[in-house]
Amino acid sequence: MKPENPLLPYLSTLQELIDLTPDVKLFRLELNDPDIREGFDYKPGQFVFVSAFGVGESPFGITSVAHHKAGVDVAIRRVGTVTNALHQLEPGATVGVRGPFGNYFPLDEYKGKNIFIIGGGIGFAPLRPIITTVLDYREDYGDLVIINGARSPQDLVFAPEFDTWAASPKTKLELTVDAGNENWTGRVALIPSVVSELKLSPQNAIAITCGPPIMIHFTLIELRKLGFADNQIITTLEGKMKCGLGKCARCNVGDKYVCKDGPVFSMEQISQLIEQF
Amino acid sequence: MSEFISKKDLLTWLGQLMEERNLVAPTRVDDLLLFSKIDQVEDIVFDFDNTTLSPKEWFYPSSETLFYVEQKDGQTELIPAVIEKETAIFGIRPCDAQGMAMNDFPFLEEPADDLYRQHRDKTALIGLACITACPECFCSSMGSGPHDPANVDILLTEVADGYIAQVLTDKGKALLPDNLLTTADVSSPPAPVLSEVPSDGIAEKMRQAFDEPFWDRLADRCIHCNICSYVCPTCYCFDVRDYTDKERIERVRSWESCQSPGFTRIAGGHDPRSTKGSRLRQRFSHKLLYFPRQFGALGCIGCGRCVRACPVNIDIREIIQDVQQLEVKSEA
Ligand SMILES: Cc1cc2nc3c(=O)[nH]c(=O)nc-3n(C[C@H](O)[C@H](O)[C@H](O)COP(=O)(O)OP(=O)(O)OC[C@H]3O[C@@H](n4cnc5c(N)ncnc54)[C@H](O)[C@@H]3O)c2cc1C
Ligand code: SF4
Ligand code: SF4
Ligand code: FES
Repeated sequence: MKPENPLLPYLSTLQELIDLTPDVKLFRLELNDPDIREGFDYKPGQFVFVSAFGVGESPFGITSVAHHKAGVDVAIRRVGTVTNALHQLEPGATVGVRGPFGNYFPLDEYKGKNIFIIGGGIGFAPLRPIITTVLDYREDYGDLVIINGARSPQDLVFAPEFDTWAASPKTKLELTVDAGNENWTGRVALIPSVVSELKLSPQNAIAITCGPPIMIHFTLIELRKLGFADNQIITTLEGKMKCGLGKCARCNVGDKYVCKDGPVFSMEQISQLIEQF
Repeated sequence: MSEFISKKDLLTWLGQLMEERNLVAPTRVDDLLLFSKIDQVEDIVFDFDNTTLSPKEWFYPSSETLFYVEQKDGQTELIPAVIEKETAIFGIRPCDAQGMAMNDFPFLEEPADDLYRQHRDKTALIGLACITACPECFCSSMGSGPHDPANVDILLTEVADGYIAQVLTDKGKALLPDNLLTTADVSSPPAPVLSEVPSDGIAEKMRQAFDEPFWDRLADRCIHCNICSYVCPTCYCFDVRDYTDKERIERVRSWESCQSPGFTRIAGGHDPRSTKGSRLRQRFSHKLLYFPRQFGALGCIGCGRCVRACPVNIDIREIIQDVQQLEVKSEA
């Protein structure tokens, strides 16, 4: 369903608001118009703009999967004006949703392969739909290794799902934090060193990473050391965004728009961009 | 033989247009020449080289409400802005009309920008061919020319006692009644000769020059005043904000410039284009490298406004020349 006016959001209702960490909440949204809701399809890796009317709108990766037919979930970290306003909302509130925008993780191409998910902080959120899809269609994919890292144990997103993930067939969950606390018995290590320690094999594998620029930078170095080719490493780019349509010209990297040509890029594609960020 | 309209009939016609629609034309405002809405035809300036600001304001205003948010009894309603009235722009130069055609590429690309499309559909362009060249313009090197009829609905060319009128589109036909035109044995004056800028192959050269220290050196004197983007017919970047200070909430779009320091800064403070050199390179790369790659046409139409307006003489004509001549390291 194509909107006539792509800058006009769909009115939507905040169904549920779940605290994921001290500064990240999961927003479960439902589009109000039943016809639009029915036609609203999206793929892992795509994003939406969410509006707090009167304050503004910002882009967020969709963290749910369309095939569950349970609306649109986004995990939002409180960092500034719009995200603060969204965090103040109560269930039942009316928000705006525009999208879905951008390209997506080509999961069909990953069928039969081992998949390594490497996410840091809020950067883990857009990777969750890959995990959900792989676990829902488990036999289609090879091994799944999930590395979820955060500054501290309470900053790890999606903790309620850790047990399910860890208990799934052919699936390994590795949690790591920069600094532990008295209850933490898990790893205290930076994500890149976990990647190196696990000796992930590039054989028939794809590594997908998302997180702060510095984490991605060092994770890449480790993946390359392990023998991953640039077309086996997938990441997402960020950019200031005002439209999602390639019109506001805010999010370009060289002649590509992150909102339209991305946000998902392989390292091979990134190395060919005119502008290097 | 040409179709001809006398100066007197032209004024009568413009007066009629003013009654039935918005008539926008060059006017003098202090020491600036600006496209303004006309209330009396006497205010129209006929003798000018080009306006200080481009006519983009009339398709893509410097600040424009996209929609209003109405909240009543716990119900929210979004009311998109609607452009009701037809507009005719008189006196647009062929280069600026080409500029608007360039803006069509990003704005009308599907899914099209609704407000821009409304403005475009409801606006007719009555072009005025250039009789003399302004010193800073170079439109004939950028895909247009002083007599270029390509992007206007009617093109008028001044001759003795009146204008040669070329009615070029259906919109133009609907605007100008046949009975105001006569057939006259006049011919168009020769088009003025403009300074040439070596634009051939500039996209490829811009690509090669991309990583050169040239940009940092050039940007050293840029004071990011943003006036280059402000006056430019084809600078179209925008910002979007919500305002609540009036009766109801509105979401407003406004012009933004890639030269301003926070243009690409994201939450957390990271700014991928944090140096002046990278920002200046963005402006010229967008017009001369990215736009051609994306849409197959140059994103600068050679109006010369930024050349005139820049307080530190950063000159796109010189940049094109310099980039063409740069000895790129990889070639050396
Ligand atoms: C494709 C994409 C997916 C994203 N997914 C998520 C997600 O799943 N969860 C999450 O918490 N955050 C996500 N972000 C980042 C999120 O958009 C920013 O944190 C948010 O825009 C900050 O807005 P603010 O008004 O609170 O901050 P302020 O700093 O007050 O920002 C002001 C304005 O700047 C722009 N802006 C600022 N930071 C960013 C940014 N990082 N990216 C884009 N525009 C920005 C926005 O238009 C914002 O309205 C994503 C960003 C992009 C580009
Ligand atoms: S007009 Fe000149 S000084 Fe001002 S932002 Fe543009 S290039 Fe810089
Ligand atoms: S870049 Fe300068 S010369 Fe080119 S269209 Fe814009 S204002 Fe005119
Ligand atoms: S968000 Fe507007 S061009 Fe990408």
